[in-house]
Amino acid sequence: MSVTTDETVIRSEAAGPVPAGKPQRRGFFAAGLHIPYAMILPAVIAMVGMLAYPLYRLFDLSFQNVNRYAYLVNPALAKYIGFDGYTKVLGDSEFWDVVLRSICFTVELVAASMVLGMLFALLLNRVSPWVRVVCITVMMFVWAIPALVTGTVFRWLFASNGGVVDYLWFLVTGDESVKHYDWFADPTVGLYAVGAAVIVWGALPFLVIGLYAALTQVPKELMEAAKLDGANAFQAFRHVTVPVIKPFLMISTALSFIWDFQVFAQIFSLRNTSPEPGYWTIGTFLYEKGIVASKYSDSSVISIAMILLMLAVLVFYIRQMLKIGAQDR
Amino acid sequence: MTVVDHKPAPAVAAAPKVKAKARATGRSSAATWIWNLLGLGFALVMAFPIYWMIITTFKTNKDLIAQDPTFWPSSFSFESYKTVLNDTEFWPSLQNTLIITLGAVAMGLIVGFLAAIGVARFNFRGRSFFIVTMLVVQMVPLLALIVPLYVVMNNAGMTGTLVGVMLAYLVFTVPYVVWTLRSFIVNIPAELDEAAMVDGCTQWGAFFRIILPLTLPGLITTGVYSWIQAWNEFIVANTLLATGGQKTAMAWLTFYATTPTRGADYGAQMAGALLVSLPVIVLFVFFQKKVSAGLTAGAVKG
Repeated sequence: MSVTTDETVIRSEAAGPVPAGKPQRRGFFAAGLHIPYAMILPAVIAMVGMLAYPLYRLFDLSFQNVNRYAYLVNPALAKYIGFDGYTKVLGDSEFWDVVLRSICFTVELVAASMVLGMLFALLLNRVSPWVRVVCITVMMFVWAIPALVTGTVFRWLFASNGGVVDYLWFLVTGDESVKHYDWFADPTVGLYAVGAAVIVWGALPFLVIGLYAALTQVPKELMEAAKLDGANAFQAFRHVTVPVIKPFLMISTALSFIWDFQVFAQIFSLRNTSPEPGYWTIGTFLYEKGIVASKYSDSSVISIAMILLMLAVLVFYIRQMLKIGAQDR
Repeated sequence: MTVVDHKPAPAVAAAPKVKAKARATGRSSAATWIWNLLGLGFALVMAFPIYWMIITTFKTNKDLIAQDPTFWPSSFSFESYKTVLNDTEFWPSLQNTLIITLGAVAMGLIVGFLAAIGVARFNFRGRSFFIVTMLVVQMVPLLALIVPLYVVMNNAGMTGTLVGVMLAYLVFTVPYVVWTLRSFIVNIPAELDEAAMVDGCTQWGAFFRIILPLTLPGLITTGVYSWIQAWNEFIVANTLLATGGQKTAMAWLTFYATTPTRGADYGAQMAGALLVSLPVIVLFVFFQKKVSAGLTAGAVKG
């Protein structure tokens, strides 16, 4: 391996000598130090321009008073108000209501979709191949429907006039009074029952198919050994299946958290583009404040709170991903 | 990454054979039938909203406004589709979506592929930092960036333009493409492109004959995924295009559903929703296995 003078300098600065026996550049374009930098440059520019700079502007805005569109058009009006924006938003009980609602809703969604996903994956593991093909085909279609559309479909399914769910409920109970039940009148029912149904329905295909694929990797011998040792079905699941599928279980839980915490389109379309305050989770709240009400600075504070809440939970996940990623090389 | 990304797809494909054997030795057929019925029940519940969506588009007005829902239309009508197709904003918004999606996928793939080769084939200072950043970046909620993105685009004079939206989509396409393609390229032995060059290929020759063909499945996976993301994205497109009079199909759909004349026309709303989702459904059905494997690899969704 030929080491250029340039590289020697860079190396000694970084982490001492070049690791022996691990060639630096091999195969494609095995020459030129600047090449890798040139290759990642477009990506770096894109990330700085579309992410880092907006993030900087996010912090910048959160310390300003830009709460009307006029301020945005005429920057001279904007001024720095320090932490006033933070005290205003964080001192607002509505903000905390929304945060609490988001957390409860996310916990409900993640728990429901993981438990249901696991149960249906186990079910797929038991059924005949043709039933499995039917289930997977159906789930592929569900997976492909845009989130915005699923909200619209469920709004119609749960409509108080001509809605199917009411009607089915009436067919089962025979009670005329439930026929025109308004699911959306009480946001608690509307969000935690109907909203959750939309989101879990949309999330199940990924979880069921992923978990099922993970389950097929559980060695049959291990299961049989557990049965021989007198383990019941639950014990075998707990001590044999779970440890084997743990990596996917963790990744899918983290992903569910990421998607469910920032959920927006489903609620937005479920409530016909104008969700009532009782339906505001952090995503919809951000949209109502930031875009609809033009409160750019207030919503920046909310955005920062959202990012921090999310990252706090995800530190665990990131560490896990890095461990898995480290196995590549 | 290798642990997670490539295995799910083959497992789905290989499973039936394995299962058939296991069933023959183990479970009774009566029990299997109970499980089958449960499985079909599950499929029925999952499929029902889609069935309802499709059946609604063919219903006549009489069925649509009925107090009790009709599970099968009394007669089929194409009125809903006529209404949608005659909407003057339908085709332009669909065209905008197509342009944005194609642009976002092309830009994301080119930028991401280059960077993926960079991190997979070279060891350079800042490499791990770059990879870790790409991973963390995927967790920043797009929704949290919407206001500053609007401000930045507004300052650059790009609100109301399709290019602005394409660029904004790089936030989610590039990290995903880099992260996923990286694991594909890492798995191509460097000896292969060395051998090609020993055999007289130029560096570009080695790229086009070795790296590009072997990464093609990865490019398709990430391309399809980026396509779905960009096509279905609503909030960024809606916000950035709010001032320019342009709309994407998703934005058209929500406006369509809320206009006073269309608000109650569920048949037309469903027809519109179905037509707008169709390009994604078709793509998904074609590339189903690749997409499910790619999603677990890249660790993001909208």
